[in-house]
Amino acid sequence: MDFDNGKPIYLQIVDFFYENILMKRWMEDERIPSVREVAMMVEVNPNTAIRAFNHLQDLEVIYNKRGIGYFVSEDGYTKVLDIKRREFMEQMLPDVFKKMTLLNISMDDLKNTYNQQENEKK
Amino acid sequence: MLTVRQLSFNYPNSRPVLKSIDLDFETGNIYGLFGKNGEGKSTLMKIMTGLLFPKSGTSTLHGDNVKKRNAESLQHVFFVPEDFELPSLSIATFEKVQSPFYPKFSKEKFYELIEEFKLYPTNIISKLSFGQKKKVLMAFGLSTNTKVLLLDEPTNGLDIPSKSQFRKVMASAVDEGKCIVISTHQVRDLHSLINHVVILDNASVIFDQPLETVSEGLWFGKASNPDESSILYSESSFGGKTILARNDMEETEVDLELLFNGVLSQPNKINAILKDFHHGPRV
Amino acid sequence: MAQEFSLPRIGQFIRRDLTIHKGTFVTGLLVSAVLLFLFCTLNMVWDKKLALEEFFGIFGVFYIPMGVLFTFSLFKEFNDTKSNHLYLSLPISIPERLAAKWFTLTVIYTAVFSLLAILVGMLAITVGTVIFSADFNVLSIFTEHYWNVIKVYFVIQPIFLVGAITFTKNRIGKTVLSLGLLALVFLLFNFILFAIFNHSYGVFSGNAIGSDAIDNVGEDFSMMGKWFYGLIFGPIMLVVAYFKMIEKEV
Repeated sequence: MDFDNGKPIYLQIVDFFYENILMKRWMEDERIPSVREVAMMVEVNPNTAIRAFNHLQDLEVIYNKRGIGYFVSEDGYTKVLDIKRREFMEQMLPDVFKKMTLLNISMDDLKNTYNQQENEKK
Repeated sequence: MLTVRQLSFNYPNSRPVLKSIDLDFETGNIYGLFGKNGEGKSTLMKIMTGLLFPKSGTSTLHGDNVKKRNAESLQHVFFVPEDFELPSLSIATFEKVQSPFYPKFSKEKFYELIEEFKLYPTNIISKLSFGQKKKVLMAFGLSTNTKVLLLDEPTNGLDIPSKSQFRKVMASAVDEGKCIVISTHQVRDLHSLINHVVILDNASVIFDQPLETVSEGLWFGKASNPDESSILYSESSFGGKTILARNDMEETEVDLELLFNGVLSQPNKINAILKDFHHGPRV
Repeated sequence: MAQEFSLPRIGQFIRRDLTIHKGTFVTGLLVSAVLLFLFCTLNMVWDKKLALEEFFGIFGVFYIPMGVLFTFSLFKEFNDTKSNHLYLSLPISIPERLAAKWFTLTVIYTAVFSLLAILVGMLAITVGTVIFSADFNVLSIFTEHYWNVIKVYFVIQPIFLVGAITFTKNRIGKTVLSLGLLALVFLLFNFILFAIFNHSYGVFSGNAIGSDAIDNVGEDFSMMGKWFYGLIFGPIMLVVAYFKMIEKEV
């Protein structure tokens, strides 16, 4: 895993978890890798990995079964979807809008580009 | 656990290499020991293993002075020097003659690591490249399960894929019972592994903080129009990064290289900011 | 401190030394065996027999230098700046190290070398009887000649042990040199002692009487001297080695 400077590593690990849950690689109520395994996977100090686990536990995305390990919560997928949607709406979109004004791109231009891409996919 | 008190050292007829060093190393952490070349990092590690004797002061492990080189305290320390030579035996024979001295040695772990490092037990050590010899010694050191593992410039001589292997192995190695100290001037190779930073300069410890405290107190990055007075350190180059007092800003990842340069040029300013953050024992 | 002298650990250390230096030992012993055979055979060419005395003379010529050589090679790791980190940080106490080294270099070495030498000697005698029709006799270690050689080795080996620990370069040369100097000093010391004790008898006045007296006193003191120097060169040197090892830094 390459880290981008700026964002704390533990939050980057959290993003890595979100991605796995959204892509359905980690299913709800399924056991996820242990702290040590995650630390190894992303080559970080286990203390940093623990921080990511705690953060996700606080958000109730994952839960801990004592002695067994960590699991994705029953409604983990919806929770992550919710978090990521909010992040998109509140953090990414304002930046996009700012750029659109700066570059004089209208909502219709956006729509066209979007439709065009969707057609290409088909 | 490993305690260094008022330790001073100099080689015969030369300036002091270490002056009144005080340090504490606890289990569950990976310490990064940074300093420019020749600032006494290796010397300090050799003293902590009992291979060199301090001119004054002590280095103790569980209260035993390491310079006595008791068999019992040596069972808790393993040191991987920067430059070394191993006996010309096969990896398997080396393990057989060397491991009985470490009561907690794990054979399974050793051969697992040897495999992970893409080596074979039948390899003759003297015919391996330096990087591979280093892997053999590191694999051995990790398998001894000593409480303290000291690594002097471990990534020197390792190619890029091996550095990644090394980080993976280290990430899995540290646990509650283990204390790892890594000395390096290649800060970048290890930044994600270290959780406590010690910086040596001019034969003294000028910085000794857990990374948690650093990220709580300092902000790293390219700041747009920062307040002149809040800049603790700034790279002079165009678009250079700065260290600011974090105050209420978002947490940023600690840029170790920036921190290292910042501490070398502004030790007092940075230490003063971090002094106010107190931390109890970490988990 | 109970854990600081453990026999199993000494055993492991001996095993480690033997494994690491296997090449040196095997080569050294093979060369000795071949030379021993040649010397024994040549010896029989003249007088058609290999007397015990002759055999153990030849034995000593190889046994002692080879032991000295092994002593130095066994301490190579100790003084090599690239390998002594690993070596000195090995969890084994200094008394254990010393005991292991001493045992390997005296007891084990002597046993192996003696056995080898006897076998080679017997082979040489057999060959001798066939080729030069020499007298056949059986070599045995239960003779005074053998034990005299062994005694000499056990007494001088610790000196070379100290030399191997002390010097980092040209170790053999420096040890022999220091030994030479030491011998000179002792000679002088003895002479002075002798002079002090015997001055009043006027032994220095007449040459003939003087040398007679020296001979006599030499005999009288030889028993005491043996013990004196045996003690100095043997156990005391081991103690010196112990402290040298404690003080050793990388």
